[in-house]
Amino acid sequence: MKNTRLQKMVTIGMLSSISFVLMIFNFPLPPFPAFLEVDFSDIPALLATITMGPVAGITVEVIKNVLDWFYKGSPTGVPVGHLANITTGILFIMPVYFVYKRLTTTKGLSTGLVVGTISMAIGMSVLNYFLFMPMYSYFLNVPTETGAVLTKTIVTGILPFNIIKGIILTAIFLLLASNMKKWIQKQQKQYM
Amino acid sequence: MMDKLIFGRFIPGDSFVHRLDPRAKLIFVFAFIFIVFIANNTATYAALLIFTILIILLSRIKLYFLINGLKPILILMAFTFFLHIFFTKEGDILYHWKFITIYEEGLRQGIFISVRFLVLVFVTTVLTLTTSPISITDGMEVLLNPLKKLKLPIHELALMMSISLRFIPTLMDETDKIMKAQTARGSDLTSGPIKERIKAVVPLLVPLFVSAFKRAEDLATAMEVRGYRGGEGRTRYRQLKWHVRDTIAVLSIVVMGAVLIYLRKYS
Repeated sequence: MKNTRLQKMVTIGMLSSISFVLMIFNFPLPPFPAFLEVDFSDIPALLATITMGPVAGITVEVIKNVLDWFYKGSPTGVPVGHLANITTGILFIMPVYFVYKRLTTTKGLSTGLVVGTISMAIGMSVLNYFLFMPMYSYFLNVPTETGAVLTKTIVTGILPFNIIKGIILTAIFLLLASNMKKWIQKQQKQYM
Repeated sequence: MMDKLIFGRFIPGDSFVHRLDPRAKLIFVFAFIFIVFIANNTATYAALLIFTILIILLSRIKLYFLINGLKPILILMAFTFFLHIFFTKEGDILYHWKFITIYEEGLRQGIFISVRFLVLVFVTTVLTLTTSPISITDGMEVLLNPLKKLKLPIHELALMMSISLRFIPTLMDETDKIMKAQTARGSDLTSGPIKERIKAVVPLLVPLFVSAFKRAEDLATAMEVRGYRGGEGRTRYRQLKWHVRDTIAVLSIVVMGAVLIYLRKYS
């Protein structure tokens, strides 16, 4: 008998590696500040989520960031950016899982991805306001943006950025899922 | 770029810091992050700075490597430094020229904050520069062991991390190969409009995922055949040994904390 648990673990390890490699090919989107970068590293986490469940997806997000911290370090000493990246990933993945679980079709997947995009954009705006921006200001000692200025940064920067990022990821993942439909179903049967 | 990433930031060496047990280093860095925030006056910041310089000297890492990754942040740091200087208007006037006035308190705050930032970044960087990723993983596994009581799968996490680390070079090679194969067919992943890049990334991901799942299956089978059965009672290939020097390192951070608390109160 095959040990699916072990195989799941090994697969999560592999997907984390891919995720880490994809994170290297990141690029900023021209109109936004440089610390907002788009990369495709959430795709392996999404794949892990729909083939092996939400815990697998979250694990991929966490391992990817820990590896990135080992390899690149953090300019803030305390890895605030990595924490933010993990949170973004989870906010994007979880809705996809919950919608997809109820409706295991392409339609369910695309609805899930749209919901995920919204959850990521709104969630990160709120968290940036209350948590990450103050943390950045604290560790980097950038003069604290508060009140109206911070709201403006978030509404004109973080919110549209995450929506665009979500749309890009949605487009890629839908293309990928339609190309690999049979293969994904096979993996689901094996792991779930 | 590929070479640089395979070895990561780790610079092999034989200094005191390199030889320290990863557990000791992790405890040290974690405690350091906390004690940095005890500092609040000239004496405490001076003590922190001297302590950090000592660590850097002991690690025998060239300053070049430490500063290398800092470049984008240095500009920001300089910016905040000057912001503090020009906009804090407390204490005696040190310098006055036309519309520029520098106050004592502003200069003090500017220097303090820059020092705090520098020591934090330098000490965490020394950790990743002197410890290989795989030994950090081993160290973390042991240190997080108590969390097993909360039913957190620490051993499994460490295993997944080790597997990821092991396969980064392999997958990197493969990504490179696929990218070259796609480039030869005229696709371009690193430039061009976003729409084109999205289209270019799918043919890159499909073979990567398929081979990763295939490889995982093979590896899992191989592990099982060799009798892998989880963390309990498993012997290790890489043994961690706690030496006197590790105790010294941990004690030094405790002493440093005490010194900082003393200086904070009495100077």
